[in-house]
Amino acid sequence: MLNKKAQISEIMTWVVATIVILSILIVFIYASSLLAQKTKTIKAQDLRIDSEKEVNLLDTKTLIAYSSASEEKRGVIEGWGKENE
Amino acid sequence: MKKKGGAKIIALYWFVILMIVAGGIFAMVYSFYYHPYDVREIEGKIIINQIADCLSNQGELSSELFDEEGFSASYKNNFLSECHINFNVEESWNKEPQYYFKIDFYKSEDLENSVFNILKGSLELVASCEIQEEKEYKREVKCVEDNFFSFNGEDLYLIKILAIIKKTEKNVK
Repeated sequence: MLNKKAQISEIMTWVVATIVILSILIVFIYASSLLAQKTKTIKAQDLRIDSEKEVNLLDTKTLIAYSSASEEKRGVIEGWGKENE
Repeated sequence: MKKKGGAKIIALYWFVILMIVAGGIFAMVYSFYYHPYDVREIEGKIIINQIADCLSNQGELSSELFDEEGFSASYKNNFLSECHINFNVEESWNKEPQYYFKIDFYKSEDLENSVFNILKGSLELVASCEIQEEKEYKREVKCVEDNFFSFNGEDLYLIKILAIIKKTEKNVK
């Protein structure tokens, strides 16, 4: 009787260990799949080279136009910028 | 004798667990590398930058864009070759059109109604872009929009550029 109980408890240990191993594996497989979906979409702001601030070529073009614009035209550019902030 | 049988079962059990763990690691690596990198937004941005660089330099619109009557129709027709843009893709993705872009020019006096536009590529892609105005769908086309101001003499223009990239099969799984 005692021998049978010892056998059952030993089997239970292995069963629980197997379940733990399988659950960890399933969690990791799911996490790697989620990670792949999230990190593999590269956006324009991800491409920052040696700078904390994103440099936008089109913003630079607008700034150049702004620097050579009259007061009235500067107002148009500022107004547009505020509207689209 | 009994002990020997138990040891065999445990060895077999460990072998099975080892196989399962190895299979799990394989599944993790496979599921990560199975998804391709989605670089369509960058691609759209590159097209927009190329167009903007072609249209405007040092705050002034290119003189080639205009003729005696205003905006040049021949420049519009030859825009792709003038700006060194092509819509070539790998042969396997060549069956369907993959690119579209639209450039709208607005005078600073009226930023609502465009005075001139240049369209190139497949118009079919525009509808998928409109669907995504409220919510972005991964398996649909990628729409990238940007704008800038530039002068033509005394006239200030707002130039809006919309680039649409399909290439869904290559970038999304």
